[in-house]
Amino acid sequence: MKQKFDIRKWKPSLALQVFLCVFLIVAVVLPLIRMISTMTAADVTSMMKSKRFPKALRQTLYVGAVATAISVSLAGALAWAVARTTIRHKTVLNTLLSVPMLIPSISHGMGMIIILGKNGWLSRFLGLEAGVYGFWGIVIGSVMYSFPVAYLMLYDVIRYEDGTPYEAAEVMGLTAKDKFFAITLPYLRKPLISVIFATFTMIITDYGVPLMVGGKYLTLPVMMYQDVIGMLDFGKGAVIGVILLVPVFITCILDMTNRDKGNAAFVGKPYRIRDGKVRKIVAWILCGLVIVAVFLPIGSFAVLGFVKKYPIDMSFSLKNIRQAVNMKALDYLKNSLLIAFVVSTVGTVFAALNAYMTARNKTKLSYVLHLMSITSLAIPGLVLGLSYVMFFKSSPIYGTFAILFLVNMMHFFSSPYLMAYNTFGKINENLEDVGSTMGIGKFKIIKDVILPLSFGTMAEMFSYFFVNCMMTISAVSFLANVTTKPVALMITTFEGQMQLECAAFVSVLILGVNVLMKCAVYIFKRVMNKKETA
Amino acid sequence: MDKIRVEHLSKAFDKAGVLKDVSFTVTDGEFLSILGPSGCGKTTILRILIGLETADSGTILKDGVDITDKPSAMRKMGIVFQNYALFENMSVLKNVTYALRNSATTKKEYDRASAEAKAKEMLEIVGLSEHMNKKPRELSGGQQQRVAIARTLALNPDVILFDEPMSALDVDTRLSLRAQLKDLQKQFGTTMIYITHDQEEAFAMSDRIMVMDAGVIHQLDTPQNIIDAPADDYVKRFVIKNINTKIKSLIQFARITDTGDSSEVGE
Repeated sequence: MKQKFDIRKWKPSLALQVFLCVFLIVAVVLPLIRMISTMTAADVTSMMKSKRFPKALRQTLYVGAVATAISVSLAGALAWAVARTTIRHKTVLNTLLSVPMLIPSISHGMGMIIILGKNGWLSRFLGLEAGVYGFWGIVIGSVMYSFPVAYLMLYDVIRYEDGTPYEAAEVMGLTAKDKFFAITLPYLRKPLISVIFATFTMIITDYGVPLMVGGKYLTLPVMMYQDVIGMLDFGKGAVIGVILLVPVFITCILDMTNRDKGNAAFVGKPYRIRDGKVRKIVAWILCGLVIVAVFLPIGSFAVLGFVKKYPIDMSFSLKNIRQAVNMKALDYLKNSLLIAFVVSTVGTVFAALNAYMTARNKTKLSYVLHLMSITSLAIPGLVLGLSYVMFFKSSPIYGTFAILFLVNMMHFFSSPYLMAYNTFGKINENLEDVGSTMGIGKFKIIKDVILPLSFGTMAEMFSYFFVNCMMTISAVSFLANVTTKPVALMITTFEGQMQLECAAFVSVLILGVNVLMKCAVYIFKRVMNKKETA
Repeated sequence: MDKIRVEHLSKAFDKAGVLKDVSFTVTDGEFLSILGPSGCGKTTILRILIGLETADSGTILKDGVDITDKPSAMRKMGIVFQNYALFENMSVLKNVTYALRNSATTKKEYDRASAEAKAKEMLEIVGLSEHMNKKPRELSGGQQQRVAIARTLALNPDVILFDEPMSALDVDTRLSLRAQLKDLQKQFGTTMIYITHDQEEAFAMSDRIMVMDAGVIHQLDTPQNIIDAPADDYVKRFVIKNINTKIKSLIQFARITDTGDSSEVGE
């Protein structure tokens, strides 16, 4: 039967979906196509024939695999320790374990140098004269930088596991080993694969840690950074960009097909945590050791920012702050704050609008919009940055703050989008229908009901954009200039000039701003919750 | 007098016909149940009647006036969903006052004080006076459904549509809500169209039942006539068989409870 064309269906939601699709095509798809089309056969051939490239590719995958294995194992053990024991202060532990997510990856690399580098205090204490650079340097730095993400994902999975099968197993008299293999592992399989993919992607596309501690151990993102920034060889950069996209897209597709369809979200009965002194002691020791390891580099560069010359003269000095300020650190901090505020505000509204159109206005187009919205999750920052250089080079926004707003918004878009998508999807699907039958418009229902129910998520989305904009050094590294430079890029500048103390001060500055933002979000959410329950 | 007259209604999704030339009438003050398995098109009829979905062809008349293309809010109909669709961030009282103060048909009529008075009256009728200041999540499923009913009734619609309102509730709550719904219908004289796949519910509550399958009406008649004279094999199989099964299981249940052996109790 032929369906009648209905003009009423065309306004305004479908028109908005079309607009959002077009926007995402211009902001993500077209720049990537431009980058890919820039590659010449000569670029590809010379890259494949070079000695550096296959080695860098092999090394990237190897270091990624080892660091992912360690990171996910550590995250799993920690998630078990916090979620499955009766230790107290779990919120505090979660907060402390997530602190590494508030500083740039390059700062983790710097922390490694301060502690385990050639002149690192721990290397000297342990008598490791050469320091930990190269493969193990990257592995340790990458683990530090990636495990909090894996931990938070696994913690949520373990925390919300259904307790009913365990009760049934108890009645059947199954042993702990049987329960692990029959219940825990099958339950963890799908989320674990997602966590492994997310961690692997994060590690192999990062250039901050390998740039700092990689030494001669070259990885693809560092090679891309050096080719583009150092030699202005955009063609070779594009080839590496495309190659970096391949494993990332494969993992992303595998992850999407592997993702649970939502059945696992059903919790018949919360898992009953067994009390036990030994379990608690083991959990405290594990958490304690990791928290110390997390705060060693942070504490080290907090100290380093205020000493004369590490490790020769450790007396207190404000020289580094003066030097950083002389090099316009405060101006660049203002730039970062401007970028972070604009991207957080516009990004949150844009991501929420997208999520509303895909989660609550299901059409064929909304599915396309959803796929495009999660695409940026698979695009490494460096690749997005390079594609923006090539696509927007002749446009009026090139060299302005506008391009930094846009690239950051698209780079960090997918996660906040998914946060809003999940929240909107969980809100009663018939609210707009009920409103419509009463003559209450969609906009009013959104304003009076849906947004008040999503304030917490909105705050988290804002904070996600903000924190990431403050610490990113990937996409912006190709696009910022002296006027628009964000403060995080000063770390690479100082690192290049061997001024670790100043770089340490900038890291502390970024950490301080991000901690303040997290505190503000925490207070906001508490106030809203109190209002809600009043 | 016909309250609703539906003529030759058809609807297809992705080329699959969900409603195939459906025609029926609902008389004023009638309680009509639409009974059929999942996917038979009963929810689609409801959504088209209230204007949330448009038909590919056919007309809908209400009180003799063509409302086929009228906006949903102008049809003076209310709907109660299976999942209540309450405003979770508002108190029970605010759920009703918000509807009264913002609905296109009532917002001119009510100021804050009169809306609150009307809302309290409606909540008292459905027996929720004690829970007015609670949030919906603090109430049981049955209580939440009563809030949804009070909110709909407050707007004084000519017709109320129910989309499987009791399928998420336990047996005891269903039984008490059934009785309350019938009382409300008598009290307000509102025409009610009720969707269910539960035969027992349909037979217990309805003035007439419309049996549907695969987008087609098989029979529209009183419960008694459907049992006495099923229109075709489908009605025989779908309705009568289920009723017989129910009766058999009731008899079996009675035998088991008589002998005190509860292990054999079936569904």
